[in-house]
Order: sequence, then structure tokens, then C-alpha cells
Amino acid sequence: MEGKIPAFGRFAEPSLLILVSLSNGPKHGYAIMQDVEQGTGRPMGAGTLYAALTRLEEQGLIEPLQPVDRRRPYRLTALGASNLTEQLRGLSEFAQMGLRQLGGTSS
Amino acid sequence: MRSLLIRCYPARWRARYADEFEAILEERPLGPFDVADILLGALDARLRFRGHGVATQDPRRFTMSLRIGGIAAIVGASLLVIGLALIGGRARGTETASAIALLVAFVALLVALTGMSAFQARSNPWLVWTAFAVAAVGTVVTFIAGVSDLAGVGPTDWRDGPLALGVVAVGLGSAAFGIATYRGSVLSRKGALSLVIGPAIGFIGVFAVGQNLWELGMLLVLVGMVSFLAGWFTLGVAAIRLDRTPALKPA
Repeated sequence: MEGKIPAFGRFAEPSLLILVSLSNGPKHGYAIMQDVEQGTGRPMGAGTLYAALTRLEEQGLIEPLQPVDRRRPYRLTALGASNLTEQLRGLSEFAQMGLRQLGGTSS
Repeated sequence: MRSLLIRCYPARWRARYADEFEAILEERPLGPFDVADILLGALDARLRFRGHGVATQDPRRFTMSLRIGGIAAIVGASLLVIGLALIGGRARGTETASAIALLVAFVALLVALTGMSAFQARSNPWLVWTAFAVAAVGTVVTFIAGVSDLAGVGPTDWRDGPLALGVVAVGLGSAAFGIATYRGSVLSRKGALSLVIGPAIGFIGVFAVGQNLWELGMLLVLVGMVSFLAGWFTLGVAAIRLDRTPALKPA
């Protein structure tokens, strides 16, 4: 799963959160930050947001749209959607494995 | 405050993102977390965008950066070894000379690390960032203590603590830079390896001296210093020679 986006390094988690935020439609940076904070309970700083956005854009996983009042929305590309699906599927399988192991330990 | 923070980012980044980034910063008041996060983001962008400049927009600045880094590496490593040798020799009347040599060496090695890190920053940003941060902290602490001592206002002899801290920090920073260079297969892999091995052997030597294995320890320290010097020297020469290759010259 990680091999799909090898260059993200420590920005792998923020990148995943941004992709999830964009999965239900285009959003500008501040809306992504609010989305992430609402979903995870942790704030995402503007520096981290743009470090991850730059990488996602370079990899072709998101694309910028025309700015509206200096706010530029971004949207998921087809490649980004497929990458996100793959990452979430991998995480889901991993979570299920963990839950199975926990179930096995407690029984 | 906002425009000052945005100016920390490289010009190429600002040309593309400054407007929308500023719009985000205007959405809410900035706290210490935001400021720290933005400064780290700016450092990350500088490390990444320097590498991108190699084949694209500003080859002249890039070759200048390599040249300065290469010269600083050779000068810095040489002065560090000379300074440590003078201190180890405990010759009378060399205290000021050794202190100045060491302080210049620390700064020069930080310049070298920064000047030669563009390729590595692209492939191993985290390692290069760590190398720079560790070496920078050691250099700042040592520099403040050393200059205070030279000026006669320092509380204690700076060689009792801050110098050792500086040497360890620069050794660790150099080793991290060596790993990034080796993994990126840039400049010289032999030089990079030598830069990783040198501090490791040197630290083992210091540990051996601490265990009263004086002769073995000093031998290891000497080998470590030679390896460290050879590593920086080789990388410095490689950077200067790479600087002269036609592919990197401005069109």
C-alpha cells in the first residue's frame, strides 16, 4: 500500500486525510483543514496542509481548479480516487486483521 | 506577521501558492502551533524546491550553491581536525587559534551541508532535514559558548561542555547527511560512506578512552577523524567537479 506513494514520507498521513476530505467533492484549503479537524479531532496546520497538497498535486492525485476570491479549490483526479480506494481497502483489511487477533486473544 | 511567514517560503513556491495560502492564514488568528507548522512547511519547501531547480529554472544559483558547499566542506573539515588536534596537543598559546579554527569549522560545515544537499533533499528530505537540524543546533550552541568565552564573558570554559556537544552534533549531522548522500547515489558514495563511518569510529574511540583503553581509543579517534576529513573532502571535491559539468551550466 505504501509503495504507491513512496515520496510522501512523513506527509503520508496528512495526504491520506486530504484525499478522504476531497472524496465527496472539490474543496479549498481551509475547508479541507476544517474537514480534517472535524473528522480526526486534531487540527492540521496550514504548513502541513500545503506540504501535502504540493506532493499530491505533483503526483497527479489531485488537481487545482480556478480560484474563487483567492481561495483555490482542489479536486480528486481519477488516479487519486483509485489510490485512495486502494489505501482505504488496505487499512480496512489491516483493521479487520487486528480485530480478529484481539478477538482470538480475548477468547 | 502573515506576509513575513509567507516570505519564508521559496520564491517559486510563492509564485504558485502565496495567494491561496495567505487567504487561508486570514481565516483565523495564528497561534504558536500554526507559526511553528508554517516555518517547518517553509523549510520543507526550500529543501524540495532547491532540488527541482537543478534542471529547470535556476541552474546558475544551483551551481553556485554546489561550489560554495564544496569549498566549505573542504575548509570546514580541515579546520575542525586542525582545531581538535591543537586542543588535544595542549600546546601553550594556541587556545585562541584553536577556538577560532573550531568555530569557523562548525559554521563552514553547516554551510557545506546546506550547499550540497539539493539532490539528497529531493530523495531523502527527512534525513537531510534531520542532518541540518542536528548540526545547526550544535553549531549555534557551540558558537554562542565559544564567542562568549573568547570575549571573556562566558561562565565557564566552553571546551568543558558546549564544544563536546558541538562535535557530537556535527558528527551526527554529518553521518545523517552521509547516509542521505549514499542512499541517493549522488556526489560520491565512497565519500558518503567515509562520512558515516568516521563519526561512528570516533565515538567508539571516545568510549574506549572512557573505559581506560587509552591507546586503542586514541587510535580509533584518529582513524575516525581521518575518515571524517576524507569523507567531507571527497564530497567537497565531487561537488566542485559536478559544478563544472556542462549539463548543469546555464544555457
